[in-house]
Amino acid sequence: MIQKIRVKTTVGPDLKGESILNDIYKRLSIKIVKKVSTVRVYRLEGISEKDADKLAKKLLSESFNQKYAVNKPIVAVEAKTIEIAYQPGVMNPEVDSIMKAASDLRVKLKACDCSFEYVFYGKLTKEDALQIVEKLRLYNPLIEHIVRQEPQTLILKGQTGKTKIIPIINLNKHQLMDLSKYKLFLSLEEMQAIQKYFRKIKRNPTDLELETLAQTWSEHSGHKTFRANLIVDGKKKEPLIERIKKEALKHNKNIVSAFEDNSGVMDFYEDFGICGKVETHNSPSAIEPYGGAMTGSGGVFRDIAATGKGAKNIASTDIFCFAPIDLPVSELPDGCLPPEYLLKRVVAGVRDYGNRMGIPTNNGSVHFQNDFRARPSVIVGAYGIIPKKYAIKDKPKKGDLIVCVGGKTGRDGIHGATFSSGEMTADTHTMHSSAVQIGNAIEEKRMFDALLEARDQDLIKLVQDCGGGGFSSAIGEIGESLGVRVDIKNVPLKYQGLSPWEIWISESQERMIVVLQKKNLLKFKSVCKRNNVEFAVLGEFDGSKKLNVYFGKELVGNLDMKFLHHGLPKKVLQAKRKSKVQSLESRVQSLKFKAQKVPKNQKEWVKVLKKVLSQGNVCSKEPIVRLYDHSVQGTCDLQPFSGVNLDGPNDSPVLRPILSKKYGVVISHGINPALNKIDPYWGSIWAATEALSNFVAVGGDYQNASLINNYIWPFPDEESLWSLDRSVDAVVDFMRTFKIPVISGKDSLSSTYRGKDGTIIKIPPTLCISVLGKIPDTAKTVTADFKKIKSVIVLVGKIDNDLGGSVYYQVNNVETDSIPRVDLKLLPKVLTLVSSAIKAEKVSSVHDVSEGGVIGAIFEMCVGGDMGAVIDNCPDYLLFNETAGCFIVEVENEKTAKKLFKSIPYKILGKTTAKQEIEVKDLFKVSVDDLKKVWHEPMRRLFG
Amino acid sequence: MNNKPKVLVLKADGTNRDEEMAFAFGIAGGDPEIVHVNELRKGLRKMSDYQILALPGGFAYGDDIVSGKILAIELTSFLGDEMKKFIERKDTAVLGVCNGFQVLVRTGLLPFRNIGKMDVTLTNNDSGHFECRWVKVKAERSSKCKFLTGLEGIIWYPIAHGEGKFMASEKTMKEIETQKLVAFRYVRRKGNSTQNYPDNPNGSLNAIVGVSDTTGRILGLMPHPECFVREQQHPNWRRGRVRVDGLPLFENIVESVKEKL
Repeated sequence: MIQKIRVKTTVGPDLKGESILNDIYKRLSIKIVKKVSTVRVYRLEGISEKDADKLAKKLLSESFNQKYAVNKPIVAVEAKTIEIAYQPGVMNPEVDSIMKAASDLRVKLKACDCSFEYVFYGKLTKEDALQIVEKLRLYNPLIEHIVRQEPQTLILKGQTGKTKIIPIINLNKHQLMDLSKYKLFLSLEEMQAIQKYFRKIKRNPTDLELETLAQTWSEHSGHKTFRANLIVDGKKKEPLIERIKKEALKHNKNIVSAFEDNSGVMDFYEDFGICGKVETHNSPSAIEPYGGAMTGSGGVFRDIAATGKGAKNIASTDIFCFAPIDLPVSELPDGCLPPEYLLKRVVAGVRDYGNRMGIPTNNGSVHFQNDFRARPSVIVGAYGIIPKKYAIKDKPKKGDLIVCVGGKTGRDGIHGATFSSGEMTADTHTMHSSAVQIGNAIEEKRMFDALLEARDQDLIKLVQDCGGGGFSSAIGEIGESLGVRVDIKNVPLKYQGLSPWEIWISESQERMIVVLQKKNLLKFKSVCKRNNVEFAVLGEFDGSKKLNVYFGKELVGNLDMKFLHHGLPKKVLQAKRKSKVQSLESRVQSLKFKAQKVPKNQKEWVKVLKKVLSQGNVCSKEPIVRLYDHSVQGTCDLQPFSGVNLDGPNDSPVLRPILSKKYGVVISHGINPALNKIDPYWGSIWAATEALSNFVAVGGDYQNASLINNYIWPFPDEESLWSLDRSVDAVVDFMRTFKIPVISGKDSLSSTYRGKDGTIIKIPPTLCISVLGKIPDTAKTVTADFKKIKSVIVLVGKIDNDLGGSVYYQVNNVETDSIPRVDLKLLPKVLTLVSSAIKAEKVSSVHDVSEGGVIGAIFEMCVGGDMGAVIDNCPDYLLFNETAGCFIVEVENEKTAKKLFKSIPYKILGKTTAKQEIEVKDLFKVSVDDLKKVWHEPMRRLFG
Repeated sequence: MNNKPKVLVLKADGTNRDEEMAFAFGIAGGDPEIVHVNELRKGLRKMSDYQILALPGGFAYGDDIVSGKILAIELTSFLGDEMKKFIERKDTAVLGVCNGFQVLVRTGLLPFRNIGKMDVTLTNNDSGHFECRWVKVKAERSSKCKFLTGLEGIIWYPIAHGEGKFMASEKTMKEIETQKLVAFRYVRRKGNSTQNYPDNPNGSLNAIVGVSDTTGRILGLMPHPECFVREQQHPNWRRGRVRVDGLPLFENIVESVKEKL
């Protein structure tokens, strides 16, 4: 039987309850609720009530400030209680810990679960309480449910499903597509290629084989668009990926490995390499943002851990795009979640996963634009360090073992890779719930600890991540050249009842594949055991050049590696430019603005400045950053915030990954959905320039930078493919200009929403460029906070007077199609001079110009320095200018400025002052404190 | 011969500040070794071979149920006697930082050395969420803690926790104060202790940052001195000289056991 224990905090505030009550008053305007409290519920199976009492007392409650009740209610009967629990089968990370601690207390549990009860006091009915729970989204029905009936058992049982033969040989086109739709996500051409293969070998595929092909050939894993031959406006062009690779490999001075492994590796100092990987996790985050963000982080950390023979994670980054927080509910597309909920839950997911992993999250950004209402972008990055001798995977040999380590396999996460390759529709929410899961960071942490230990004992030949496609992708990939034979009956399962194909493609989190020589098995086993990591030998490399999958004695999959990896028909795709009809109108708009809307007096200037500073893309993100552990590992020598009050934002973190050495790693990024949407080429150049400028602004030398490119695009129809092609051109041109490589990248080309009523929403095509760079001495770096009074403030770099896509235009509702263009010829020189000036310790602060413009950058520097600035009179198109590749630099005097920057465009803007006021001569004066209030307000309101 | 005191840096699933803790003890003159609790349980490592026991930060076993609980139960269930013998020796010291402090409190070692009996608690921050920031603290002049020599004036340490609010019954608080067990308090710019957020980041009663036991050789605190052992770790070292406040604490701990060697 199940013993049910309830625990309630009696001393101190019930913070969760109070915050719900607050939301009930403020957001729902319901006054009848007097109080909300929360109760933890534990269900323990297979023990006596006496043992339950023992566990309640010793483990589940604290005598000082909590009380407990076994098998009886803990609150007054008249209160309305609603219990929220995870759906059966959804991983509940606490269960492991409870089982372990109970066993340490010598109580043997058969199973357990834990959940929350929300208790509502006041004159309300149970129905009212249910409505509150629904309206405040206190649970997500995809992973949680309201407990209405006591479960009889917590043990999930089931019969193992049989492997089915799927008859496809004789299907016609329509039947083939019916089979593909909603499940395989393959095109007719691809389905026909599969049909042809099986006709040739004269049999029908098993479900497992078909699923394997769908996984391997999915856009997520196969990158079909990037590999396709293109015809752009009638002209043949090489595949996108080829163009990126070709240019990148020309600049291989710092490359250790690029495009080959789970992350790109660049040379660091002495015998080390550093690596980076950035991914999107949009689809799961759109429907279950908390779990989506967690598993996104977990996945990208595993990419670092699965680089070569295993790298150590040293940093995590998070970049989000949402619809504006104040989006009216009426504008929210059917089946989509409101942006405020998404933002809060995504942040919570990153916090709960990254913090537990002990990986500092110290770089990121949040962007808001209306078109993200249908599908947010959640971009997660991870960076690592690896001894160069372990940076390249060993080639497996016949007889080498394939071992899986880490978490158990369940039904969760089935079809994640194929799902994310499909577009989002109003039905996505309900149809793909199994693609969503919750992460268990501790499982991943101990697995990484064990893998690094095993690596350092030289036990490992290679590590592979079980990500999209699960074992099918991981094992399919490593077995490509030799062939493998595996028995998936050996896979440790969370519960019984999975069919072989489900085990094979499940994307259950926190699992990895390791390849070992047989002789190292025992040693590897003992490392795993010491770290409480589960492991199982699945099979070996057999030299058959085939993928042989067994379930016990039954052969359930038998595919030629050649067909699996090279049978995917190569696409030829058409790209066409949409005719430009708006350009004249937009120019008129811009001129009109220039004539009418330029602020005319002090009041108007201050008003528009406040609007810009409080806009979502510009406002302070400090409350979010402080939820993330950015100090763990003790490596951060340039922190996200610095200055007198520690609230001045900086451009990039500088890390010292080896505590005893002064070498640094710098991580930065650039992204601008607004500009990308208007002009895919110059918007992409802007993003890349912004990323590199952030690196240079702290003291980096661009020659020691590597790039990571991520394309988040709508479904590649002709028009979107045209803009994607332009964006890739921009990245290639950027590499050529700076002679630095892209070393890693990813595409996510499904950001289109189709509503039931025919609405189509394309999220803005977005390029995110991340920079991974090295720096010889972390002490030769600068922050953005102004350091001294009466310093000279200099604008360094060439601005383009266009303001299209700027926050200044956005808050004034001006849409034009001419955006600032970076002068690529001049830029290398600008970046070189800025970084040399920092190295020579001639400048005391630097901040790069980006969203919020020149005045926004100066404001942030004033915040950090707790001082003010007097700026010479200048026009709005300079003050609010957002041309990337420009910097605000603090120097001692004008002479120094001239000496440092005379060979490039620069302009003395003014001086820092003790008085905490920003004055632009003849235009306006405003106190820094007033500006700070509006700049802090949006995120403080959300995150407290 | 190596006469550096041996430091056992205890690790469990989810511990994540072990490496920087070991690094800090290393540069402070100790001889650190990161040891998984499984190795102690199996008897492959013994506390009796070490002078210093250090419990680092992190999320041991996910901090499930409440922070530090699962590891505390593991320690009291299997290593209670060993811990008791360890703290009864005169040449030993114990440090618990953040999660390690939470574990020490839940084993009962802090503040009254009652293994298996919890007298105080560290609970959810008043803000209701995890918080990563630098704070100002001051060492108590009259504290029993033996590791505070030279830690004068306002000290900067980083914190990163969600459950750091120190609470105890009125009676226990009184006893902690009269026995001089408070080691550090949160202070504002001018140096007076505070209950105000964010200077007091979690709402700890009496602004308590950390406490020692009655012998002064067991210390637990929420901030991370191990992450401030060189100047560049401070966010504002570019604004003028900063004093490295973390390292002296480790040097003092190492010195305190060396004297007894």
